[in-house]
Amino acid sequence: MGFEVHRFQGEVDEELLCPICSGVLEEPVQVSDVLQAQLCEHAFCRACINEWINRQPTCPVDRAPITSAQLRPVPRILRNLLARLCIGCDNTIYGCQVVVKLDCLVAHLDECEYNPKRPMPCEQGCGLIIPKDELNGHHCIRELRSLIQSQQQKLTDVKRELGEQQFQINEQKREIHLLKDFMRAMRVSNPAMRAIADQMERDEVVRWSATLPRARVTRWGGMISTPDELLQVKTMIKRTLSEYNCPPHVIDELMENCHERKWPPGLNSLETRQSSRRQYENYICKRVPGKQAVLVLHCDNTHMPEDMMVEPGLVMIFAHGIE
Amino acid sequence: MANIAAQRIKREFKEVIKSEEVAKCAIKVELVNDSFTELKGEIAGPPDTPYEGGNFVLEIKVPETYPFNPPKVRFITKIWHPNISSVTGAICLDILKDQWAAAMTLRTVLLSLQALLSAAEPDDPQDAVVAKQYKEQPEMFRQTAKHWTSVYAGGPAKMSDLDDKIRRLTDMGIEEHNARVALSSYNWDLERATEQLFMTVMAKN
Ligand SMILES: [Zn+2]
Ligand SMILES: [Zn+2]
Ligand SMILES: [Zn+2]
Ligand SMILES: [Zn+2]
Repeated sequence: MGFEVHRFQGEVDEELLCPICSGVLEEPVQVSDVLQAQLCEHAFCRACINEWINRQPTCPVDRAPITSAQLRPVPRILRNLLARLCIGCDNTIYGCQVVVKLDCLVAHLDECEYNPKRPMPCEQGCGLIIPKDELNGHHCIRELRSLIQSQQQKLTDVKRELGEQQFQINEQKREIHLLKDFMRAMRVSNPAMRAIADQMERDEVVRWSATLPRARVTRWGGMISTPDELLQVKTMIKRTLSEYNCPPHVIDELMENCHERKWPPGLNSLETRQSSRRQYENYICKRVPGKQAVLVLHCDNTHMPEDMMVEPGLVMIFAHGIE
Repeated sequence: MANIAAQRIKREFKEVIKSEEVAKCAIKVELVNDSFTELKGEIAGPPDTPYEGGNFVLEIKVPETYPFNPPKVRFITKIWHPNISSVTGAICLDILKDQWAAAMTLRTVLLSLQALLSAAEPDDPQDAVVAKQYKEQPEMFRQTAKHWTSVYAGGPAKMSDLDDKIRRLTDMGIEEHNARVALSSYNWDLERATEQLFMTVMAKN
């Protein structure tokens, strides 16, 4: 609904009034088609015309058929005319004397001291934010007590919901277990099934790899090939992989492949590493977010010679130098 | 009353007051209560019609949902017109029903009603008896409408022959308005009107 005309200073042009509410246009819209051609030149408050169209899909002035999809904001020139009008604050009846340009009204209302609903912090101790006009009847203890009560209620609700969900999760876990057993049995007993399952697992890794950001190793010399001491680091890396949706069937294998004893011949000793070092740059590495480690997945590195890769891939931990 | 309805009516009230039609005494509007939910309208019978010289009072009720729904208007002044009930004053006019549009105002409503007095639509009647007479006996209709205007709306015409017939019935103890309705409905045929009146009396007893 538009702004009441008497709140404005001076005469307001008829063009700026909404024919429905007879107030000054608020969020004015006009009927035009996709090509922005005007279908009729009548402008209305958005709320007013929507209410009307809900009852009858015609222009309230000339009765031309219209739909809410045809409503567009009015041209800038009309909006500028509206923005320049001077309007008295909503809180005039509470004593505010401020007159602002229409486009500054919202900003003023947010800080208007006369706004009876202005949010104020209680200074008697509870610190709750309450509407100014309720400050007088406000009683900290009563207020806090009802707050506690409502939160207790919420807590009870949440607990009950949690219990229900826990129950459902357990049910589902049992079902998943059963399904897994079933699939394992299928795989063992049927070679075609095994091939399909293997392919599905490989595809899953490819999809996952596509979601990971590329990593750049600036100092290959920082590689730690025997991270036996780094238990904590390895746990962290594994958790990160899991958080970033690593397919569960490869996660353990990948983590085991962070040690040179599991690496391919071209990497598994200091001597071979020295001779294949110039090939390092050809590796496509993926980031383990937030960690000084990279993932070298087999599916990303089919271009590498066989003695430089293993299935399903390997993890390289570094002391530094990962971007 | 919803804010928007009150805001509209206040403004339209002023619009009518300031209009040139008011200056020419063609239409008029008054407040019935402070809340702008009910108003009293008045329209002058248009020239060159049987309603000329009469003033017709209207009851205007503004719904909570105005202007998304039309005002409810009916004639308080009794009138003989095909689109207005001679009994209740209910009006059959499209803009007061499905052809209402939110941009219409009290002024447009009053002017449309005035236009309806100039140009009846007997094919979309509110009062079937009047409409039949309008179509089949236009001169009789004109006389009757003029007579009603003079009696109820302060019109100038004095029609002594019609008044005489009414007096014949009131002398027999019939209430004057009932006599007028019966005569009007039977094309001022005294015998048939009498018959009809006493039939109803007998039926009631
Ligand atoms: Zn239009
Ligand atoms: Zn509006
Ligand atoms: Zn203010
Ligand atoms: Zn407090």
